[in-house]
Amino acid sequence: MKRGLFQSTAVTLIFWLCMSALTLLPVWWMFLVSVKSRADLFGKPSFLVDTAKMTWANYAEVLSNPSFQKYMINSLIIATSNAVLVSVLALLAAYAMSRFRLVGRDNIFFWVLTNRMAPPAVFLLPLFLMFTAVKIGDWSLFDSRIGLILLYCVFNLPFAFWLLQGIVDAIPKELDEAAYVDGASTFTVLRTVIFPLARPGLAVTGILTWVFAWNEYLFASTLTSVEARTITTGLAEFVTVTGTNWGQLAAVAMLTLAPAALVLALVQRHIVAGLTFGAVKG
Amino acid sequence: MSRVTLAGVGKSYGALTVLKPLDLDIADGEFVVLLGPSGCGKSTTMRMIAGLEEITTGTLRFDDRDVTVLHPRDRNVAMVFQSYALYPHMTVAENIGYPLKIAKVAKEERAKQVDAAAKKVDLTPYLARYPRDLSGGQRQRVALARALVRSPGVFLLDEPLSNLDAKLRVAMRAEIKHLQRTLGVTMIYVTHDQIEAMTLADRVVLLNDGQIQQVGTPDEIYDDPQNIFVAGFIGSPPMNFVQGQASGGRFDGPGVSSLACPGSGALTLGFRAEDTRISDQGQFSGRVFEVEPTGESTYVVLDMGGQRANLRCDKKFRPALGSELRFDVGAGQCLFFDTTTGNRVR
Repeated sequence: MKRGLFQSTAVTLIFWLCMSALTLLPVWWMFLVSVKSRADLFGKPSFLVDTAKMTWANYAEVLSNPSFQKYMINSLIIATSNAVLVSVLALLAAYAMSRFRLVGRDNIFFWVLTNRMAPPAVFLLPLFLMFTAVKIGDWSLFDSRIGLILLYCVFNLPFAFWLLQGIVDAIPKELDEAAYVDGASTFTVLRTVIFPLARPGLAVTGILTWVFAWNEYLFASTLTSVEARTITTGLAEFVTVTGTNWGQLAAVAMLTLAPAALVLALVQRHIVAGLTFGAVKG
Repeated sequence: MSRVTLAGVGKSYGALTVLKPLDLDIADGEFVVLLGPSGCGKSTTMRMIAGLEEITTGTLRFDDRDVTVLHPRDRNVAMVFQSYALYPHMTVAENIGYPLKIAKVAKEERAKQVDAAAKKVDLTPYLARYPRDLSGGQRQRVALARALVRSPGVFLLDEPLSNLDAKLRVAMRAEIKHLQRTLGVTMIYVTHDQIEAMTLADRVVLLNDGQIQQVGTPDEIYDDPQNIFVAGFIGSPPMNFVQGQASGGRFDGPGVSSLACPGSGALTLGFRAEDTRISDQGQFSGRVFEVEPTGESTYVVLDMGGQRANLRCDKKFRPALGSELRFDVGAGQCLFFDTTTGNRVR
């Protein structure tokens, strides 16, 4: 019995070690490239870090590059604003759908979800035309952070709405009613009862939508040119007609990966809790 | 405290009427219990009083104030829910103080009032705990304290004891009654448990099929039911019924012959188990179907021509199964109902 248990544990361990290696190998390889000089890059490949030749020059160069700094700031602003806006709007929508008798409630829910099913590339051309057409004085929706924030909201809202709908549904309606009888307005109920109880779900929604906006490439590369370019589109700038600066490209990739990885590592426990919230009646 | 007046208050969902227009006047400081089986409309009535359900017809007044269309927050009512509806992310103190916080009562004053409310229901040692750390009875007391803390005009309690075990239910029942008497508050209490209704109420409102069947003191409801539903719903075991025919002021039915009665035609005789006396010369008879000792007494279930009747007998009484038993019913304890309409015939 004990031997069987040991074998089973060993097999599981080996399986997950292999899976981890498979997942992390590209990241490790990217790190190796980012700490090599241009000359060493084309030397004999190795999976180990040669500490004697290791260099942080690629990172130093990228971090001191004003364009990179701008892209990083743009990405942070766009991803964070998108996450906040989507979470707030989705919570309000989920609350309304959960608590009020809306005509065609189920159809609305299905329609919202189907919006997320079409491939985003389908909308690229109309969106480009729309973005270039919307102008207020000198300001244009094209190449603006606001444009991207709003666009990401459109694509993230159905998912966030779907996620939060289940979470709000799992909060007993009697709590709202008790709060109303206690003297609360609808806004107070949202602020003091629904929001605190939906926090795990809101955290998940915020994080996942933040990661989506942070990683997005297609729209960011098409609907921005200079001012609102994000870090993911900035990566492409290292591929030039004279060649590819692999070291700096890898360094930027590592720096792009770091915030998302850090956020996910810190909150992975909440993600699991948030995704399973309401799945089992307490 | 408030006087509550329901004038023609009814509830419909489209073409479906769930509560027929009802009139009810609840006096200031009165303890009224809305009693009835599941789906009779008692919770809907309470939710309409609280403002959680829209009133389709009629008007609702608290004293002289028309509150028919007011939002729950503007009605000055407090409600204890069946599930207690405690805010799980707040401590006991925060739960009790929530209505005061909403009303923007200063922090120090709030703390004082929370302490006072907690003291009334013996919750002082638990103020820092969360609802998940409390027993069912303690949670129920938190819900009561949250209702008490605002000194509302009307207290509404929706089956507050139904989630407690039998022993705790009896204890909490006494506490609620004592609290209501001490504070002199107007309390409306919903239950399907007739024992709760009888022990707590100043007046019982018995509902069925979305309409009031009878309003009266527990004694009136028990001793003087207006129809066969009230007679059968109140009492444990329920009232015995024997269907028969009456003519010339005499009632005949299975196991009963020539019993003096009012009215004529198809009548149903009703009598309670405790009003019966075993007697060899008794006017009633039946065969012993089953014997049920309960410790304090013995219930004998008789078969009276296919209709069952319970007799409460001495605790040592053990008749043989299948034997014939004769008994009498106390003078004035036989009630008659019209078999067709179910209404009392006097």
